[in-house]
Amino acid sequence: MRLNIPDRYLDLLPWLFATLLVAGIVHIVSVLLMPTLAPNDALARLASYVKSAAPAEGLVMLPQMAPGAETLPFEDPAFAEAVCVYDLAKGPLRVKTSVDGEDFLGLSFHGVAGRIYHSMTDRSAIKGKIDIVVGDARQIDALTSADEGDAPPPQEVRLTAPAKRGFILIRSLAKRASDQERARSRLSAISCQRFDLPQG
Amino acid sequence: MDLKPYANYLRAASAMIAGVGIGLFATILSLNAGYGFNSLRAGPWTAWPHIGGADIDPYARAVISRSGEAPLGRDQGLAFIARADSNGAPLSAECEYRIIDPLPAARFWTIALANPHGRLLANPTERYGYSSVDVLRKEGGAFEIDVAREARPGNWLSPGAAKDFVVMLRLYDTPLDIESAPDPDSFPKIVKLGCA
Repeated sequence: MRLNIPDRYLDLLPWLFATLLVAGIVHIVSVLLMPTLAPNDALARLASYVKSAAPAEGLVMLPQMAPGAETLPFEDPAFAEAVCVYDLAKGPLRVKTSVDGEDFLGLSFHGVAGRIYHSMTDRSAIKGKIDIVVGDARQIDALTSADEGDAPPPQEVRLTAPAKRGFILIRSLAKRASDQERARSRLSAISCQRFDLPQG
Repeated sequence: MDLKPYANYLRAASAMIAGVGIGLFATILSLNAGYGFNSLRAGPWTAWPHIGGADIDPYARAVISRSGEAPLGRDQGLAFIARADSNGAPLSAECEYRIIDPLPAARFWTIALANPHGRLLANPTERYGYSSVDVLRKEGGAFEIDVAREARPGNWLSPGAAKDFVVMLRLYDTPLDIESAPDPDSFPKIVKLGCA
């Protein structure tokens, strides 16, 4: 057995490269898999809250934020919030409300795995109304083809969701602590309803 | 027992095990470092505008799925987080701080305390933040917010019994350009007043 130290190190070099290669692959795969494997992401947290709050669908108010009673981390305590957890397999969804143009109202549309595919505030309401239809590609196509021939163009904004499941988070700002009630009543005026596609 | 014929298998196995270990360690390190690339920095404040859009990168998606948060949409505003004061020293609840304006243009803003995992801090005042509407202003519109355990006159936020905290600055409907580096002088300073 030779005891030439530089040579022994050279022998180990390919194994070092192999280790780094494996480390790189494991790192990339684990980062990419994290959104699918994370058991407690925002969608899971909200879905389990909605389930415990009884209604099977539609808009559900989140409890007022307090230490130890936050549904989601990193939310602004100045806000009242409501969520609409959906599954498009049952049909497309319509979110509708009117805004007064004064108080901040934010709507964000979240798909699976932490992706926001659309977000807006009351500033982008059209003529004081927010009217948004969320569907998968097939449902939006069906709506578009049902339009043809009809005289007035649709007033609603149509969004194609990237995944069947997801949630719409609606945030209503209470400018002062005493405005919480008002902020919550603005949320309860919002409807988030599943509807049936037009036949034919 | 003579292991020599199996030497290469042993080396391959240890390369595999070490590789898996190093790979997972690198994942944990990178996910604890923030929300991936393209951060927006201004003094002590950092924001990650792309986490609120469809072009979110895989690192940010991994971080968000793990923490369970629902970030602010890009068209709604920007959320900045400060983990250190304006001199770069980490925020500690043992110390007292003063947050001093100015603020970038926005329709509304809020400044709130949270723990490093985004939970609210229990404190006797039951106030967790100020908004651009309810903050007390001096003549001319300037304001200061004191962060201290002991009661202060004026705008006061208490970290309660927590050891560490972060300051969240959220700008709603802001025209701030997210493509260029913001001017640190247009953001609030976090000045340490002293430590207990």
